[in-house]
Amino acid sequence: MDVSSASVLAAALAIGLAAIGPGIGQGNASGSAVEGIARQPEAEGKIRGTLLLTLAFMESLTIYGLVIALVLLFANPFR
Amino acid sequence: MFDFDATLPLMAVQFILLMVILNAIFFKPLTKVVEDRAELIRTSQTGAKAGLEKVNAITQQYEKELADSRRQYQAIIAKAQAEAQKIADDQIAAAQAEAIAQREQATKALDAEKATAMAALEQQVDALSQEILNKLLVGV
Amino acid sequence: MLNFLDTLNIAPLASLEVGQHFYWHIGNLKVHGQVFLTTWFVAALLIIASLLATRKIQQVPKGAQNLMEYALEFVRDLARNQLGEKEYRPWVPFIGTLFLFIFVANWSGALIPWKLIKLPEGELAAPTNDINTTVALALLVSIAYFYAGFKKKGLGYFGKYVQPTPVLLPIAILEDFTKPLSLSFRLFGNILADELVVGVLVLLVPLFVPLPVMLLGLFTSAIQALVFATLAGAYIHEALEGHGDEHEEHA
Repeated sequence: MDVSSASVLAAALAIGLAAIGPGIGQGNASGSAVEGIARQPEAEGKIRGTLLLTLAFMESLTIYGLVIALVLLFANPFR
Repeated sequence: MFDFDATLPLMAVQFILLMVILNAIFFKPLTKVVEDRAELIRTSQTGAKAGLEKVNAITQQYEKELADSRRQYQAIIAKAQAEAQKIADDQIAAAQAEAIAQREQATKALDAEKATAMAALEQQVDALSQEILNKLLVGV
Repeated sequence: MLNFLDTLNIAPLASLEVGQHFYWHIGNLKVHGQVFLTTWFVAALLIIASLLATRKIQQVPKGAQNLMEYALEFVRDLARNQLGEKEYRPWVPFIGTLFLFIFVANWSGALIPWKLIKLPEGELAAPTNDINTTVALALLVSIAYFYAGFKKKGLGYFGKYVQPTPVLLPIAILEDFTKPLSLSFRLFGNILADELVVGVLVLLVPLFVPLPVMLLGLFTSAIQALVFATLAGAYIHEALEGHGDEHEEHA
């Protein structure tokens, strides 16, 4: 396998694997947030704000994977 | 994609410039306005609170006066009622006394008349019986 | 395979043009002209909005003043939530400018059809679409929190590196590098990913289908601006407080 095909594979793996963890995390966080809203509907606004912020943090983990994938595809230093 | 060059420091300088400019034309004046307004609202709020307290005090005083005057007029009414009652009682008592006196007088007069009448009757009975006796004795 | 990648770089995703720049040469320095053009646009937008808002200041705000006062209240609340009632005032301009600049830059990239303006090379996009911009902003945040720590505690600021135990010293030092790294990569990645996804979708289905993704992109852009400013505030607060346990390294 030459470097180019390895890079393409690695890019696909990077984004795919990087999506797993944050997916689980976001699911957990959203589930807990829904539970919290169900328990205390009056706190919905606050919970939603915090949830969006934390979702953005988790999302950025996938984005790191995406950045690596993009590096491999477009700015590969080994090619 | 990851090609760092002179763009980086120049962007930093630009950002700091933008911050300085925005600080001068945006953050400072508007912060001042916002805080002035907050101050104004606070002062007018305290003023309104003082006014409200004054109004409350006046209301309380008024209510106190109202209660006082109510008590006063109730006292007056009670007094007047008591007086009226007393007068009525007095008059009733006087009338009763008078009536009793009149009745006693009448009874006394009646008794006296009865006594005189009885006395006269007795006299007459005596005279009559004497006469009857005389007539009877004469016949015998 | 190599050929495929080369064509990928240029031909099919031509409208994406990742890694192409409109170079300006200043002396013997090379700079990315398209970033500067859009940055000037964003800065001009902010300055014009500020001038409109403060042209005739009224006690009862309306129009532009109302909008900018809303923005000001927003960033003030943001700074106050992160830095606390006592410390936040001097940092409002920094955090506020960070938020406003990133927000307007992101939205300008998402809302303004820059691609209609043809450049000789590369294409116009949000300034935050360029790694130089985000790294510059992240490094400024680093400098800001070091400045805050030194100003508050002098050299005693370094005490926080060995505060709970000296064992954590390498991690504490490493944190100073990961902070700007994660800050800049998060912003850069999100904005670039958004533009790439929209670009690919436009390439595949040019009508209507990219719209929801564009809306999601607007949302993400706003959230990323908020996250950047929030984290900047959190880092500065951490430097002012001196113990790093309160605000853990986020992501």
